[in-house]
Amino acid sequence: MFGTYDLFDDVFALRNLVDRFFNETAFSRQRVDFPYVNIYEKDDEILVRAIAPGVTAQDVDVQLMDNTLTIEMTCKEDYANQPYLRKEREFGTFRKSIQLPYQVDPNKVDASLNNGILTIKLSKHEAVKPRKITIK
Amino acid sequence: MATQLAQKPEQNVKKPDYVITPPVDIYETDNEYVLKADMPGVAKDNVNITFNNNELEITGKVDEQYTSNENMTYREYTLFNYYRKFVVSNAINPEGISASLENGVLTVKLPKREEAKPKKIEIKAE
Repeated sequence: MFGTYDLFDDVFALRNLVDRFFNETAFSRQRVDFPYVNIYEKDDEILVRAIAPGVTAQDVDVQLMDNTLTIEMTCKEDYANQPYLRKEREFGTFRKSIQLPYQVDPNKVDASLNNGILTIKLSKHEAVKPRKITIK
Repeated sequence: MATQLAQKPEQNVKKPDYVITPPVDIYETDNEYVLKADMPGVAKDNVNITFNNNELEITGKVDEQYTSNENMTYREYTLFNYYRKFVVSNAINPEGISASLENGVLTVKLPKREEAKPKKIEIKAE
């Protein structure tokens, strides 16, 4: 890994790239981290919806810095000390930063948690709001 | 023959409804089985739990606001309705099944029949 440059490095790199292209499916190539988010945009409102099953409002931390939104949430383990027949659910602390394409108004952020879905409402900053131009 | 093929009523073929199989934890205590399922986006009224012929069926309908693609600009997940079925043993008392939904996590409690509960066997002194 820390060797000197070799002409064949590029050849191998290309071979690996081709191998990866054919071995991976489209689904595995698209790696997304938990929490999964969907972003909706309407006029001057941006809506971010994240999946958060089993997360209470105290365990969510939403931060806005410039136009970067950081969501940190803890899904607390609710394992009972009992014999388990099936264990499929996942727990832990998840953190994700989303870079928003617009400057948002830091005073108009509204986050709510409902039925395991975290909804963050943001409003575009005055400067980037769509404006109607009147023709004289 | 060719016209028959062309007239094949594709519209009448019912497309399968895509469903999400929710991840489930099941554990057993002395008195009951407890089942927990992650079902985000489902309101309490839209969960349907049926117990019939030792089959426990769980369906959850996701709120329409979470499934619509309107104004969506970036997507990492798609929500569908939830469905899962379990075959459970005769040890369950169907009258006592209870369920609750909290923060998108469904908890179903299946109490055991009296006969199936663990019993302590006393050893008689001779």
